[in-house]
Amino acid sequence: MRREAIKRHAPFVLSLVVGAAAWEIAGRHTSIAFMASLSETLQRLWQLTLTGELPRQALSSATLFVTGLALAIVVGMPLGLLLARLKWLREALDVYITILYATPMVALIPFILSLMGFGFAPKVLVVFLFAVFPILYNTVEGARSIKPELIEVARSYRSREWALWREVMVPYTLPFTMTGIRQAIGRALVGMVAAEFFLSATGLGQLIMNATQNFDTGAVFAAMLVIVAAGVGLMRLGRTLEAHFARWRT
Amino acid sequence: MAVTALAAAPRRFGPSGPLVPRIVAGLVLLALWEFVVRGFAPDFVATPSGIARAFPHVVTSGPFLAAMAQTLLAVAEGLVISVVAGTVIGLAMGRSTLSDRVLRHYVSAFYAMPMLVMLPLFSLWFGYTGAARLATIVFAAIFSIIVSVGDGARSVPQDYLEVAESFRAGRIGALFEIVLPASLPYFLAGLRIAAGRALIGAVVAEFFTAIGGLGYFILYNSRTYHENEAFVAVLFLAGFGVGCDVLINWATRRFMPWYRRDETVA
Repeated sequence: MRREAIKRHAPFVLSLVVGAAAWEIAGRHTSIAFMASLSETLQRLWQLTLTGELPRQALSSATLFVTGLALAIVVGMPLGLLLARLKWLREALDVYITILYATPMVALIPFILSLMGFGFAPKVLVVFLFAVFPILYNTVEGARSIKPELIEVARSYRSREWALWREVMVPYTLPFTMTGIRQAIGRALVGMVAAEFFLSATGLGQLIMNATQNFDTGAVFAAMLVIVAAGVGLMRLGRTLEAHFARWRT
Repeated sequence: MAVTALAAAPRRFGPSGPLVPRIVAGLVLLALWEFVVRGFAPDFVATPSGIARAFPHVVTSGPFLAAMAQTLLAVAEGLVISVVAGTVIGLAMGRSTLSDRVLRHYVSAFYAMPMLVMLPLFSLWFGYTGAARLATIVFAAIFSIIVSVGDGARSVPQDYLEVAESFRAGRIGALFEIVLPASLPYFLAGLRIAAGRALIGAVVAEFFTAIGGLGYFILYNSRTYHENEAFVAVLFLAGFGVGCDVLINWATRRFMPWYRRDETVA
């Protein structure tokens, strides 16, 4: 049993060690302005954490991320249910939603900039636009797959519209919405970085930009590590949530 | 894993059904946009009528065509690199547990990472040049190819390989004759995602490094208060995205009619 575990995990551990060593060697053989080594990156990460710079910027990024994503959920889910319930509205709008879903949202950032300027609101709008469509799309999909019998039974028990939503539509659709939210998490993270790069520079995006201008690649890598760790952690959280709600998905 | 590669595939929600409400809704939305902007926004903000007026002279103008050619060439070049390298790595990961265990965590970490984060680094390494854009495109596109080709190669039924073996097919022969064709639908699903990401990669690289292309065309024109002109380029970008989707869906149906997405996912 133990041999089996070693055989299973050894390649991964070994690949981590090789990767770390390659990074360290590459970093030491090039100028720091080109690439910081692993040890320099970790050192910089520690320094930036001690000075409070990194936690402050990470918090600023997190605020943006959470606000935009929350707004996308609050708007996307009810709107998705509404579209599923009202056939005429869905048929009228589905093409436009599909087109907007396919449009590269980054391309709209210059327009948002000239319309709304440099505040917090335009950045939230960017994160929102990145995140809302997968939620909307999956919710509509889920609500449309509700068996008509369920609604008919509810109706024959004289269920009102509100009760129908609360007892049938929302519980049935939730797993699908969760799939949408999982996809939205990744997109919102991209939106967050895009907003911080291309609108007013704040948060981790600002940290990366400033460090790049100062050829401080240690800080660039440190901030990137934080973003990658956040990304991987959030994806995992999303998948856990999705799996949790998928239990009653039939 | 198989589900993740195909989850983004289009489902029943989409263009089908009567045309009239759709056209009416489109007109209402355009009218709303037009009147809200005219009533409440500054003059330079894009309106549907302004975009329609700008459209003919933009699409025939030299700078626009040059920008479009630059971006599309870079995307094509990046996609070719991603497809070749991504297929090789994906096949290796799908067919060999060792390389899968070695590479998997790197691939999924890079795949989960917002590609935008690499921009400052690429601009440091490659300068403000086309090479930085190409690197961004490859970084944006390659991981979805790797993941989906890997899923496809893993999903090949064992029976096929056993039959091949009993007919004395070599490992390499089986790879090209069986594994590669069998993972083709997965590859196409990955390519759809990769194409969209590649296009976005090109645009953000052009935003960041200000090298010529559709992204820079949008940036420059919107900064000089030519938003209508800039928006024409956005329409083309959206068109390319939708076009790629339609083309790949069509190819899947046309050349792999036996492949039913619904059944595979369920």
